[in-house]
Amino acid sequence: MFSHFIIQILETILSISNISKRYGKIQAVNGLSLEVKKGQVFGILGPNGSGKTTTLSIILELLKANSGNFRWFGKPPSKESRKRIGSVIESPNFFPYLSPVVNLKIVADIKDFGYDDIDRVLTLTGLFERRNTRFKTFSFGMKQRLAVASALLGNPDVLILDEPTNGLDPQGIAHIRELILHIASQGTTIIIASHLLDEVQKICSHVAVLNKGIKLFDGKVSEVLAISDSYELSAGNLELLTNSVKQHPAFQSVVPGGDKIQVYFKDAVDPEELNLFFFHQGITLTHLSERKRSLEQHFLELLDNNK
Amino acid sequence: MIKLLKIEFKKILTYKIFWILTGLYFLFLTLGLLMAEFMINKQVDNFNSRLPIPFPHVTIYFFPWIWQNLAFFATIRYVLIFPAIVIIILITNEFTFKTIRQNMINGMSKAEFLASKLLIILLISLIMTILLTIGTLVLGISHTSDLTLSLVLDKSTFMIGFFITMLTLQVYALFFGFLLRNTGLSIALFTLYLFIVEPILYYFLKSPLVFENNISPYLPLNAVLRVTEYPNIQVLKNMMGINLQDSISFAACCIPLGYAAVMIGITYWVLLKRDL
Repeated sequence: MFSHFIIQILETILSISNISKRYGKIQAVNGLSLEVKKGQVFGILGPNGSGKTTTLSIILELLKANSGNFRWFGKPPSKESRKRIGSVIESPNFFPYLSPVVNLKIVADIKDFGYDDIDRVLTLTGLFERRNTRFKTFSFGMKQRLAVASALLGNPDVLILDEPTNGLDPQGIAHIRELILHIASQGTTIIIASHLLDEVQKICSHVAVLNKGIKLFDGKVSEVLAISDSYELSAGNLELLTNSVKQHPAFQSVVPGGDKIQVYFKDAVDPEELNLFFFHQGITLTHLSERKRSLEQHFLELLDNNK
Repeated sequence: MIKLLKIEFKKILTYKIFWILTGLYFLFLTLGLLMAEFMINKQVDNFNSRLPIPFPHVTIYFFPWIWQNLAFFATIRYVLIFPAIVIIILITNEFTFKTIRQNMINGMSKAEFLASKLLIILLISLIMTILLTIGTLVLGISHTSDLTLSLVLDKSTFMIGFFITMLTLQVYALFFGFLLRNTGLSIALFTLYLFIVEPILYYFLKSPLVFENNISPYLPLNAVLRVTEYPNIQVLKNMMGINLQDSISFAACCIPLGYAAVMIGITYWVLLKRDL
């Protein structure tokens, strides 16, 4: 019991408890609590203005929360904990008149690292060829990639990425996502803020959905963002069909509609499995059609239901 | 400390604006110091045209008074503005480029950030003091006839005064940079304060509009400029009836140092309180 407790503490990379931040009249973050464990790819999902960047700025000590607190690696935040974190927040911030190499040397100096990792991160982000050109000559995509390179310097324990693919072309987006998945596969904990549901679905293992500074859900991506598809069903005896579908383990709700019924499920349900389920109940379906919803539609519904 | 200087050097080494301003500073400083004697004698000539018995021409480059004379001419407002602008740019750049944010994110503390800028100020002041000392020795040795070691070293304490002036004025500039965070605004307000606001304040406090006081010389900038108050030129004494100082006064050094300490304290407090 006690050893289990210890393991739990060791595994927690970041714990946020009840933080709130207000800008004048606007409540940017409202009583947010989160727990990020080692090895997770944790997505913070929400529309623009939902408090994602504010939350990341607070945990990086750029902003002071009005209330609440947070701990990194089980300890109160300090400059030492920040040295173990690599982050890309909003715009890439570098000295425009310095080359990527010198800019990264400054980062390495601050973090007490040697310079031997610089070539690796520049190669990873595809900037090695341009390593000695001044930062101000870079395109936006290259600037963003340098920010990622700087975050990766020295293999941090945690990577924090705020809208990492914002403003990139499709090729750049694919490249960055691939890179994130590659880093995640090496066991690095990643915290990523995004307003793109699709992005979170593709990259993250866990997610917290924010809206107007309030956390709506958190948990495994597969659970929170599970697409509860609906089915249109019909059978000879509609009443019997309605009663027996309620026995289905993934059943959520049913909407009658003329000679058919619309059934919603909590988890993804395979049509073949569904057919078999009714067959075992002694019902033969006369109609079965799947109604898919887009991810975006689903996300909007998630936000909508919690207004 | 070495680490902080390493970081600062990287920020400065290939920064063109820094080197252009530093180059201009050296140019004006050297020209100003070499032309000082000529310019004073021009004034003496003007003055003499109205006098029956003319004042003799001055020489300012002989030991021991060259220490005081060069320390004075190297710290007039028109020259001091250069290092002040350099410091303001170096600090406000960090806000413009948001690199202060990035430095914090990467694990620098606010105290370290402030310390790194103070170290640069300290280093610039030290280098300038060494250079001026070398320049004084060269110029003094070539202009003094009966050289003895004690004659050369006498009054060399004015270099301490020069160092304190450089140090404290740059701390004032740092204070403006950190508080205002905007390059243009900081330079504009600092220049206005240096050339207009404090001179007006100086005479206002002496005017009959306010109660009788002796605050004027203790205003921040005046306190700095009074460390080396006048050049040691006898003619000036006769012409203007001023009392020449013959050494650096400990008290006069303490006032600007006190101001600088308070400004560093306020800067650190604001840095801690404000969101980045």
